[in-house]
Amino acid sequence: MSTLAADTAAPGLALPPLVKEISQRKIDVYSGVKPYSIHTDEAWARTKGFRAPLAQAMMSTAYVSELMTRFVGAGFVKGGTMSMVFIKPVYVGDRLTVHGVVKERRAEGRATRVVVEVWCENQDGDKTAAGTASGLLAGGAA
Amino acid sequence: MDEFKPLSYETLQVGETFVSDTKLVTPEDVEAYAYAVDDHHPWFAEDSPFGGPIAHPTILANQALHLRHSKYIVRAGLHAKMEFEFLEPIRPGVRARSRGKVIDKYERRGKPYMVTEYVTEAEDGTVLVRGRFTQMLFRD
Repeated sequence: MSTLAADTAAPGLALPPLVKEISQRKIDVYSGVKPYSIHTDEAWARTKGFRAPLAQAMMSTAYVSELMTRFVGAGFVKGGTMSMVFIKPVYVGDRLTVHGVVKERRAEGRATRVVVEVWCENQDGDKTAAGTASGLLAGGAA
Repeated sequence: MDEFKPLSYETLQVGETFVSDTKLVTPEDVEAYAYAVDDHHPWFAEDSPFGGPIAHPTILANQALHLRHSKYIVRAGLHAKMEFEFLEPIRPGVRARSRGKVIDKYERRGKPYMVTEYVTEAEDGTVLVRGRFTQMLFRD
């Protein structure tokens, strides 16, 4: 996987967004089907005040991980970081768009750490999660 | 024999520790995870820069997130914050477990939260992922 874009990316560069369709089947595989789960038991989700089953927030971290692995490559898998706040529930049937904008490049030892502002947005334009993620690039030309 | 109690903010103690069972990461786990998050990166099935296939970096995140289930019955909760440091690639064939410690609990706007710090490590002690997460507890 090329990291050419990350090698030269300056702050302000927008990463190609990812789009994720949230289906019950994918939530089931992710979370495991069980009763008394707000993710896989619709009646229980409603009992707890939600209009439908929720995707696990952790799924959004996987989406950000994909965004970053595609951008930075191996330096995210080994040396990457992520810090996310979950703002709104993601429901079955939602369509999430995962965004990233390069925020900073800084030297870290002999490498360069690229920091990306990341967020997920639902089909209504509401942010469901936001934070930062980073990865390491070989070479110190920050 | 372990005893399980319903999780409550009042009984949860800062400093409590949790240990997961050991999980063997299989190629089928990697495939299922790729399906669940709709990420079919070639490194998950073919070769990677690390030599051989790897798993998605977050594949063991639920092992950590479910640490409290090793002591408590948890009927619902909301994940509020998540931090990761990905230190080593996770490869199919690794046997991994997570260890965590409750480092804080607090109430904000009438809602109770717990904060857990954790590491996920391979059987040989290699730390794969380190992190911290904040979960909101539901009051029945």
